[in-house]
Amino acid sequence: MIEGAPEWAPSGLRMATQPQQTTQQASAELSLDTAALLAQEEHGVSIAGRSPWYLAWRRLRRNYVAFAFLFIFVLIVVACSLAPVYAHHVAHTGPDENHVTDTVKIGHKQVPVMGLNTGGHIGVTILGPTWWHADGKFVLGADANGRDVAVRLLYGGITSLKVGIGSALICTFLSVVLALLAGYYRGWVDWVITRFFDLIWAFPVILLAIALGAALAINGIHWNLGLFTVSVSGGNLLIPTLVISYVLIPYIGRPLRGQILSLREKEFVEAAIAQGASPLRIMFGEILPNVASSVLVFFTLIIANNILTEAALSFLGAGVQPPKASWGTLISDGQTRLSTAPWLTLVPGIAIVLTVLSLNIFGDGLRDALDPRAKVRIEH
Amino acid sequence: MIRRTRWTWFVSLAMLAAGLALLAAACGGGGKKTQETTTGAAGTSQQKTFPNFRIVYDTGTDYLDPSYSYTVQGWAAMWNVYLSLLGYKHVNGPDGATLVPALATDLPQISADGLTYTLTLRSGVKYSDGTAVKASDFAYAIKRDFLADSPGVGFFTNIVGADEFSKTKKGEISGITTDDATGKITIKLVKPQGDFQNILATIFAAPVPQGTSSKDQSTTPIPSTGPYMIQSYTPNRQFVLVRNPNFKETANVPATNPDKMTFKIIEDDSAALQQVINGQADYDFHPIPVDRLADVQQKYGDQLKIYTPANTYYFFMNTREPPFDKLAVRQAVNYAIDRNALVRLYGGLATPTENILPPTYPQYEKHSLYPLDVAKAKQLVQDAGVAGMTLQVWGSNRETSKKPVEYLADVLNKIGFKTQVKIIDASIYWTTIGNQKTKAQIGFADWFQDYPHPLDWFDVLLNGTRITDTHNNNYSDFDNAAINAKIASLKQKTTLNDTVNQQWAALDKQIMQQAAWAPYVNRQFTDFFSTDIDTGCYINHVLYQFDFSRICMK
Repeated sequence: MIEGAPEWAPSGLRMATQPQQTTQQASAELSLDTAALLAQEEHGVSIAGRSPWYLAWRRLRRNYVAFAFLFIFVLIVVACSLAPVYAHHVAHTGPDENHVTDTVKIGHKQVPVMGLNTGGHIGVTILGPTWWHADGKFVLGADANGRDVAVRLLYGGITSLKVGIGSALICTFLSVVLALLAGYYRGWVDWVITRFFDLIWAFPVILLAIALGAALAINGIHWNLGLFTVSVSGGNLLIPTLVISYVLIPYIGRPLRGQILSLREKEFVEAAIAQGASPLRIMFGEILPNVASSVLVFFTLIIANNILTEAALSFLGAGVQPPKASWGTLISDGQTRLSTAPWLTLVPGIAIVLTVLSLNIFGDGLRDALDPRAKVRIEH
Repeated sequence: MIRRTRWTWFVSLAMLAAGLALLAAACGGGGKKTQETTTGAAGTSQQKTFPNFRIVYDTGTDYLDPSYSYTVQGWAAMWNVYLSLLGYKHVNGPDGATLVPALATDLPQISADGLTYTLTLRSGVKYSDGTAVKASDFAYAIKRDFLADSPGVGFFTNIVGADEFSKTKKGEISGITTDDATGKITIKLVKPQGDFQNILATIFAAPVPQGTSSKDQSTTPIPSTGPYMIQSYTPNRQFVLVRNPNFKETANVPATNPDKMTFKIIEDDSAALQQVINGQADYDFHPIPVDRLADVQQKYGDQLKIYTPANTYYFFMNTREPPFDKLAVRQAVNYAIDRNALVRLYGGLATPTENILPPTYPQYEKHSLYPLDVAKAKQLVQDAGVAGMTLQVWGSNRETSKKPVEYLADVLNKIGFKTQVKIIDASIYWTTIGNQKTKAQIGFADWFQDYPHPLDWFDVLLNGTRITDTHNNNYSDFDNAAINAKIASLKQKTTLNDTVNQQWAALDKQIMQQAAWAPYVNRQFTDFFSTDIDTGCYINHVLYQFDFSRICMK
C-alpha cells in the first residue's frame, strides 16, 4: 500500500489531501493527489487515507532502538514508582531514616551498619552492599548517615523524575504560549518576548539556576498578591522545578517562535483571519497543531535535559535540599567516599545516564518519525 | 696537559653540581628549602624558615577582619596577623593558656577594686605598612567593634561609657583613656570582671590604624602588627599570608618559619585529604572522612596528629520560637537524640556529652539528665500539644554540620514533628542563624573556647542580657533571670578557686535542667601533614589549635 498523504500539512490544506472516491474521471482532473491517483491507476488498488499521526506512529514503530530505550525509561519509571513498596516490604526503612547504631543480619552474623573500628584503629566502618544477603536490607549498602542507599536511589529517582518531567511541562507550556504570542502578534509583543528570551539566554544555564536556586532554597517564595498569597517553602520540590523551567524557557521558546513566525505568513493563517477567526483560535487551533510535532520532540528532549540540570543543581547544593534524596544529592553525598565506596556515586550516576540516554534516543526517534526533515534539538 | 685536563674536569664537576642544585631548586617549587637559623631576643628560639606552607583550608573562614571574624578558621589564621595588647604563649599543652604581654610591655596593673586596668604599649611597634602603632589605636579598635556591630561587642560592654557609645556611636568611650606619647592605656570597668584580661587577648581587641573603615575589610586587608600580614583574600577561594616586614620578634611572639602561607579553600574533605597525600599541599585542616581514618592512620600514622581542643557540639533550640518556648519540648529533644549515634557520625573521634562545658575544664562535672528514651520524648511532644508541627532544622553545608542535622531531622520526625532541613553555605551560616530576623528554630551549633574561662561559655552563649539582634551568639535566645543573675554574680569573681568552680559546675547542670541546648559531643580533631613536613616542630595551641607559623620542613 502506498502512503497517500503528505507527511504533514496545514489544516487548511487537509481537505485537498483526502483520497478521491472516483477512479476514471479523477485522473483527468488537476489534483494534489495526482501521484496517488496514478499509483491507483497503475496498480488497480484503492489508497486509504492516513493521518499524519498514524504515519508518524508507523515510522516510529519500525525504530526498534527508540522503542528499546523507551522500554528502559518506562522500566526506570516503574521501578522508581515502586519505591514505597520496596521501602516498606523489602528494605523495611524509609529513605531518610538513619540507622547509625543498628545492626543487620548477614547470614548468621549481626553486622553493624556503622561500626566503630576496634583494635587500636580509629574511624568507622560503614556497611557495604549486602547484595540480598540481608533479606533485602541495605542491598547497595549504607551512606554516611546509616541510610539504605537502594531505598534512597529509588526515592531519588522519583524526585529527579518529578522535577524533570514537572519542569519540562511548565517550561514547554510557557515557551509555547510565549512563542505563539510573539510569532502571531509580532511587532512590540515579539520584541518584548524576544528580549526576555535573550535576557535569560545571556546567562549560562547552570550559573543562573544556581543563583536562583540558592537564593530561593533559603527563603522560599513568598508573594503577597493582594487577593491571595503564594508561599513555597525553601525545601519544596517546586523550587528546583520552577527554577529549571524558568532558565530553559528560551531554549524551546526561541526555535518555536521562528517556526511560528514562518507559519504566520502561510495562506491558511490568512484564510483563517479572513474567515474572522479570533487570534486565540488561530494561535491554538491553526498554528499550534502545526508545531505540535516539534513541541512533542522538544518536550521529550527537555525532560532529559532537566533531569541533568536537576542533578547538577542538587550536586552543587542549589537544587533538591537534603535530606530529600535525588540522584544529584546522592552523587554529592557519595563523592566524599569516592575512594572507599565508589558505588555510592556510580549507581545514581548510571541511573541518570540511562534515563537521559533513553529519553534522548527515544526523543530522536520521535523527531525522525514526526518530521524527518526537522532539526529540532536543545542547544546550549 | 694533565693540569689542563684536571682543571677541565674540576670545572665540569662544579658546573654539574651547580646544575643539579638549580634542578633541585626548580623541583622544590612548592617550597621545600629549609634554612636553619638561631634568632630571638635572647637568641634562644630556633628558626627553620622555608618559602611556602601550603594549607588546604575549609570553608569556615567567615572574615579576615579582626572586628568581624568569630570562627576558629578566622582566628587561627589571624592569630599571627593581628596582635592584641595581651596574648598567649606559643607552646603545646595547658601552658598555652598562659597570658603574656603581646603588644603591651607587661601584663596589666589591676587596681585593688578590680575596676581599673593599666597597660603600656611597647615602643617602636609598627604596622606592616610602616606607620607607628599608637595607644589610641587600641581605643579605636574597641570603638570600631561597636561601629561594626561586631560579634565581640558583648565582651566590652562592661567598660565605662561603652553602653552609651553603643547607642550613640559618636564621640569616645569614656572608660578608655590613652596617651600616645607614653603609650599608656587605662581602662575603667563598671564592675569587676574575672575574664577581662582574657578579653584583652582576643582578636577583637587588636589595635588597628585609626580611620580604618568600620565596614568589613577582609578583601582590603588592614595593616598587621603580627609576624604575618594578609597579602590577598579571595573569599571561598584562597588567601595568602606573607611576612610582615616591620615585625620584630619578642620572647612572647616568637620568630616564625614559613615565609609565606597559602590557604587554599576547599569544601570537600576527601579532595582536601587527597591533595596532601598527592603532595599538592602540606597540611590538611579538614577532618579526615570517617571511612578513611583507619586507612590514613595505618599508612601515614607519623603524619597524622589527633588532638582534643575544648569544644562542645550542640543543637540550639530557640526559646523565643514555638515549640521550643516549651521546656518539655526542649527536654524531649534531649531525650530523643542518641549521643552514641552522633559519635559515630564523627567517625568515633568524639565523646558523648550532656554538659555545656567540655571535660578539659576544671569546672566540668559530668551530669546525665537525659538518658536516651525516644518513647518518653514522643510522649512529651504529644503532651505539649505540638505534635505534627513543622520545624525548620538549620545546618551549614560542611559535612560536620550536615550529617548531624540530617540525623536530628530524622529524630524529630520520629518524635512527632515534620521537618524541613535548611542547609546553607558555611561562610554565612553563623551570621544567618545569629540574626533574629531568621527566627531559626533549631539547628547545629558548636563552640570552641575564645579563652579558657567558664564565662566564655555561659556569659557569651547563654546570658540572656547579651542577646543581640545580629551576630547573636546565644542561638537559643536563652534568657532565664535566675541564671542571668548567677552568671553576673560569678563574673565578678576574679579568681577561679574550688568554691567558684563548683558554682560553675552547678550552673552547668541548672542550665541543662532548663534544656537550653541539646549538647551531644566533645570532638577530637586531626591534623594531617604531607611527608615533607617535620612534625617534630608541631605545636597545638590550647586556644588556636595548630600553630601554622611554627611548623617546619624536613
